[in-house]
Amino acid sequence: MKMKWSSAILVLSVLTALFFSGARGLAQPSPASHARDFTSVEYFAPPLQRQMKSRLSGAEAQPLPGGLLVITQLKLETFTTNGSPQAIVEAPECVYDTQHNTANSAGHLRLRSGDGKIRTEGDGFLWRQDDSFLTISNHVHTVIETGPEMNTGL
Amino acid sequence: MKTFCLIALMAVTAGTAARAQSDTNAESQLLRVTDIHADGADFDGNGRTVTYHGNVRVSASDMKLTCALLIADLPQSGGHVSHIVAETNVVIDAMDSKGQTMHATSDKAVYIYNVQDGVTNETVTLTGNPQPQVENAQGTMVADVIVWDRANNGYRFTGNYHMISHQSFGVAPETNSPPATTNELAAPKANLPPGADTNFPPGKLDLVPEHHSEPPPPQTLQPKLPY
Repeated sequence: MKMKWSSAILVLSVLTALFFSGARGLAQPSPASHARDFTSVEYFAPPLQRQMKSRLSGAEAQPLPGGLLVITQLKLETFTTNGSPQAIVEAPECVYDTQHNTANSAGHLRLRSGDGKIRTEGDGFLWRQDDSFLTISNHVHTVIETGPEMNTGL
Repeated sequence: MKTFCLIALMAVTAGTAARAQSDTNAESQLLRVTDIHADGADFDGNGRTVTYHGNVRVSASDMKLTCALLIADLPQSGGHVSHIVAETNVVIDAMDSKGQTMHATSDKAVYIYNVQDGVTNETVTLTGNPQPQVENAQGTMVADVIVWDRANNGYRFTGNYHMISHQSFGVAPETNSPPATTNELAAPKANLPPGADTNFPPGKLDLVPEHHSEPPPPQTLQPKLPY
């Protein structure tokens, strides 16, 4: 099972639509509906299907015309197979383009390793999923804390 | 998920960029904090490179580096970064394993790390125009190419080598012993060869090295004909 971020968000959109349609009984799901305090979890393939691989959460997801999805308080966490945090991505707001598989924001982006010893942040970013290319436009700051237990070459 | 791999690699590589000037001795056993600031950055998951651009500043406990562009290759398995390029107005202030400070400037600096047959090779090669230069307690050394051998804590100079010693005439200079921070460069002798440039500030020695510069082209003696 190899679900990408876009897939996760698409799943989120579907779940959101289903949730709202269920909440409104027989009402038609509206493409303009949005979710609050959502979480989408991906699990490892068997036999680790009970282990969380990633967790995408946000305060709000607002669909826009053109396949755009505005997500606020985005938090993306990944985990190793033993359950420990691997990486954490946080952005107060970003726009995900489901048609072009890109995510961008003029706002802040914060990345950190699971142990918090490697951190990068900046303002304004563009993530192109198809070619795995991330650009941070302004005020990039990376901090690396290394010790004898780490093997980052530092 | 490529996203997560990229994030992890990016962070590791970004930090490892600072490794270009780090120690290989026991100091590495201590907790080190490396800061990298830049106007912007690109993380290429497919090309496996990370590029910091615009006012790049790398700061660690024993090293500071500034430049306009810093490109590092991402290691395949989160290992040691083997290739880093710093370009445009590169300035390095570092401390070697003996605790001596050095100040280097160049247009380009290339960091290479590899291990061959159990031997670690770790160099920083300074090139470009204007000529790169390294300044330490012994003096200021200029050459077309300066290789800072991190593994052996020494320097190699190639092409148009020139040194301005920090030793003054008033103090008996120990010019016959190699500089303390270099174990590869034979110390230039105080005996100036004929024609050596002596236009230098008072108190400074302007020396032409006997070694480590490119040798002059061989001269061919023409037989003297009887007519």
